Amino acid sequence: MILITKMKLVKKPMLAYFMDGTTSTNALVEKRIRYYKEITKDNNDVLYKNIPTNEGIVTIIFSQSLTDSKTLEIMVLIPLANYIHQIHQVAEHMNPSNIDEITQKLATGETLLYFHETNRLLSIHTYSVKEREVTTSEMESTFIGPQDVFTESIQTNLSLVKRRIVNPMLKNEDLTIGSVSNTKITIIYIDDLVDRTSLEQLKSRLTKLDYPKFFDISTLMQLIEDNPYSLFPQYYMTVKPDTTSHYLADGRIVILMDNSQAALVCPTSFLEMFISAEDYYNRWPSASLVRSLRFFGFFLTIMITPTYISALTFHQEVLPYELLLNLQESRMKVSFSPLFEVLFIELIVEVLKEAGARMPAKIGQTIGIVGGIVIGTAAVEAGLVSNILIVIVATSALLSFLPPVFHMSNTSRTIRYVFILSAGIFGLFGQMLAFAWLIAHLLRVKSLGTPFMSPVIPRRVSDLMDSVVRFPISFLKRKSGISRSKKRSI
Amino acid sequence: MFLVQSIMFGTGVLSLPERLSSLGYSQALMPILFGVIASISLWPMIWICSKYHAKNLFEINEEILGKSLGKCINAFIVIQLILLATAKVSNYVQLIQSTALQEQTTSIPLILVLLLVLYIVNGGIKNVARFCIMAFFITIPMVYFLKWSINKGDISHVFPLFNHSWNDFFVAFDQGFNTVFGYEVILIFFPYIINKQKAFKHALIGIWISVSLFFLTTLVSVMYFSEWQLSNVQYSVLHLFKAGGFSFVERIDIFGITLWVFLVLSSVSGYIWASMKGVNSIISKRKSSHVYIIATTIFVILTLPLSHENLERAFIVSYRIGYGLLLWPIILIALHFIKKSRWNHE
Repeated sequence: MILITKMKLVKKPMLAYFMDGTTSTNALVEKRIRYYKEITKDNNDVLYKNIPTNEGIVTIIFSQSLTDSKTLEIMVLIPLANYIHQIHQVAEHMNPSNIDEITQKLATGETLLYFHETNRLLSIHTYSVKEREVTTSEMESTFIGPQDVFTESIQTNLSLVKRRIVNPMLKNEDLTIGSVSNTKITIIYIDDLVDRTSLEQLKSRLTKLDYPKFFDISTLMQLIEDNPYSLFPQYYMTVKPDTTSHYLADGRIVILMDNSQAALVCPTSFLEMFISAEDYYNRWPSASLVRSLRFFGFFLTIMITPTYISALTFHQEVLPYELLLNLQESRMKVSFSPLFEVLFIELIVEVLKEAGARMPAKIGQTIGIVGGIVIGTAAVEAGLVSNILIVIVATSALLSFLPPVFHMSNTSRTIRYVFILSAGIFGLFGQMLAFAWLIAHLLRVKSLGTPFMSPVIPRRVSDLMDSVVRFPISFLKRKSGISRSKKRSI
Repeated sequence: MFLVQSIMFGTGVLSLPERLSSLGYSQALMPILFGVIASISLWPMIWICSKYHAKNLFEINEEILGKSLGKCINAFIVIQLILLATAKVSNYVQLIQSTALQEQTTSIPLILVLLLVLYIVNGGIKNVARFCIMAFFITIPMVYFLKWSINKGDISHVFPLFNHSWNDFFVAFDQGFNTVFGYEVILIFFPYIINKQKAFKHALIGIWISVSLFFLTTLVSVMYFSEWQLSNVQYSVLHLFKAGGFSFVERIDIFGITLWVFLVLSSVSGYIWASMKGVNSIISKRKSSHVYIIATTIFVILTLPLSHENLERAFIVSYRIGYGLLLWPIILIALHFIKKSRWNHE
């Protein structure tokens, strides 16, 4: 009412006609519009349209790449033509002289409405870009359970979580990070479950960020980790809303980023890197079996090729006579040392994997088959590697892909080289030293201030029921210790 | 609990049957006696520490004995701790060289072991304790390797005949008791224990876990070896592992001895952390660089052109000081009461 009264008091100025047929109220309006155009002159994406309305000329300024024409029509053009008074109620009023805010609004896909007669500047949220549909997962495919995965839209991802946890206590706080990219992120948590200390710690890390550009949440993860130099990812990364919701219900904190498909769960533990949401949909014996495979698979993948080197270079007496004979027979043609032989084939596998991933899907598959079979067989025939090593390396490569978190797969492959070199220099002793370093390192790593080796250390009996072995669901009645949740029971 | 257990369980057990060999087949019960003595000597340690809640042994010494005398005693304790750590590292590295890496020198393995110890110690006492827990669970499956020796051993060896003299007993006691050293480090890490009320109980459990394993080792050795072998086979535990094998692995002892690095690391880390605290108290400055000085000292001691006998003598001296350290809390308690009565008098 006050607004309308004020508007009535405004004295209508004399109209002046310009060359392009538009009208301006006075020199100030002309000056302002010219100034806005000056600021956005190298940005051809920004459009200026003068719309005649009941309240005089309104210049609408918007970024056409960030605003869909249909949205612009529904949100701006139709209301301007039919019920302009409502625009004043719903739009955000801005200072026409605040250039920083104006450019920021345009960059985030808002439409600006400049009322010539009243010199008012309004902003309407018209951000509407093309989004990918919610599809099934290629990264974390599952047989049982929901098949939908996050997209690159933060709003869609948030809705996928909120439709799973229908709880007024589910909160989300928005932040903008990256001085150049101005990327929007949102922190999600359940208010009555989350540990306040962890939440404050995370927020403080996010506000102290000093990095210009964020195009994927992995970059953010590396910047807010407790141990940025560690080989291990310290937060759980997932593209599945059901997994995300599972952790939220446990009292964890989740970060979503605009234009990034994955969600970050923090804090998390080393053991959880081998846990998938599917384990809870599966029957407990089979879930336990698969989990054990993933967990021990990690240690096998970093150990089996180095053990081959150790056994053949330093400790031939460890092997039974028949097995040693078999190994030596398969290495009859190979003139390299076991260390060189292993490094050669391991690097070939890495190259095949990378080449298969970088090429178009169909060619990639072909490369995989050609590389795997032809190069493998040819290498054995040529006497470059032994056929037993081919089996070991292939098994090791398969084992490295077992963890549901892809970063963990990369980590296991990187660590394997440390073990291979250790075995090449000091045999089994070198392997055990590397293993001791690995354990010592894992014990030092923290995830948002919580020991990464939870629940093994610090110990909590209730956590061990949901560790390598998954007890029946009826046993899992407590929140995990790592979440430090305010409520222990479910 | 595991901190006490792991620091105790270094390399001593590997040659324990040989050290107790003067008792012949009667040695099996010796670890039980060690356990009883350790349990009794633990009580005054916990008592004196509980009287000075937030202070470790070095600070208690300075408070009760005064700055200068306290620092002097602390220096002895630090030397003893460093020598004990040196003995464990030296034994293990030599063992590795003789079994797993026969064609290599000990320098690089020694440097790597010490670097790993530094990495663990730099994480603080919590990290050392956590590593001890992991070391226990990673190495405990090795007990399974004893099953072949039990199968092949003679149960009749186990029954004690007590066919030895008191002199044999004291020789065995003297040579074997240093195996259970390690629990005295609780004097230094006591202030860091969260649940101090249960410290005695937990330390006792730790001691008896180790003692049970020592007992099992001596028991199986007695069953498996002849008396001559007991006194002449130095690292008898490795030979116990050799008694059997799997279809895909023959020399289990190589796996055993390389996996033993976890036990050595946890034990040495505990000693070095404790000696670092000692150095901090002597210099009256808290510096993390002290731990590097200690590690360098150990490296220098082991790379000096000293004969094996001279080194052994130095280690024996440290074991003797170790006995003194076990009795030291009793002296401290006495001094504490004297000081208290004087204070009440005034």
